[in-house]
Amino acid sequence: MRYFIPVLFLIIFVIALFKKVKPYDAFTSGAKSAIPFAMSIFPYLVSIFVLTELFEVSGLSNAVTKLISPLFNLLGIPSELTKLVLIKPFSGNGALAILTEIYQTYGVDSYLSRCASVIYGSSETVFYVAAVYFAGAKTKNLTKPILISLFASFCSCVFACFICLIL
Amino acid sequence: MNVIFGTLLILSTIILMFSSPETLLSAMLSGGEKALSLTTKMVIVYAVWLGVFALLEQSGLADKFAKMLKPFNNKLFGKLPDKANNFMSLNISANILGMSGATTPMGIKSIQELEKHNGTEYAIAMFFVINATSVQLIPSSVLALRTSLGSTFPSSIILPTILATLLSTIIGIILVKIFIKKGAK
Repeated sequence: MRYFIPVLFLIIFVIALFKKVKPYDAFTSGAKSAIPFAMSIFPYLVSIFVLTELFEVSGLSNAVTKLISPLFNLLGIPSELTKLVLIKPFSGNGALAILTEIYQTYGVDSYLSRCASVIYGSSETVFYVAAVYFAGAKTKNLTKPILISLFASFCSCVFACFICLIL
Repeated sequence: MNVIFGTLLILSTIILMFSSPETLLSAMLSGGEKALSLTTKMVIVYAVWLGVFALLEQSGLADKFAKMLKPFNNKLFGKLPDKANNFMSLNISANILGMSGATTPMGIKSIQELEKHNGTEYAIAMFFVINATSVQLIPSSVLALRTSLGSTFPSSIILPTILATLLSTIIGIILVKIFIKKGAK
């Protein structure tokens, strides 16, 4: 696994050499587009991050967690993991912080921690992906795709809690 | 998006007004700060990946690779314009391999390419759902974290994670097929 990126890059570089691509010009032209890219994403990131921050600081996230826990319990998601499931669609860093906390509180190899690992590893920051991918896009009606993604991710959370009981 | 954003914004502002009014602005600013620091990191990651991709593209390798995946892509997304197919193939491969720095720029380019053509709403929705349900096979960041915290069996979560990832992606694909209409509007 350690060699994957170096080998991949080497193959790309060598083939480019054989195809007589001007490596310096090509690399620079690619790298040039990084700044406009990041610029177009920035406003959307600010909105998402400001919201996540407010959600956390106001205590709203804790309130929602408490409110929704019993419902999650019914589906087999332990209360300790409710917050992780709720935060993941918004913020990868937030979710990573919660994951680390769970590891430290319950021990890395406990059922809760393994469950949390699978939930974290098998889901994506849905709102973040929506904001970033569609930053410069005309398509703004993403309600259906977002709902579908959230529902599918939630199913995999329920599944994660179940499969960690067996495996 | 606007409904969710507005509701949460107003609710949390009302709560903060009563609990600790002085933290409202500082919380918003700290959100902005996090966004900026992430953006700076992303400029660097994008610059490197887009540089490598430019080599990949100009040597004709990206075209060849995308051609190999074309039959599969056409089945999943419907007929695709060539250029979009290229970016989408790179995005999905990078996703599966967990090269997160490479997925985002290719994802944005794919959407931009798809939008240039009519009747691609279905492909856009399908492409978004596949990206948003995660198709990464090896959860490398989780593995690293588990190892660093002294897990006796860090890789025990690989198989469950792969199964859960596949499940969410499959459910996502099925739901798109059911709820979003194929073809031009």
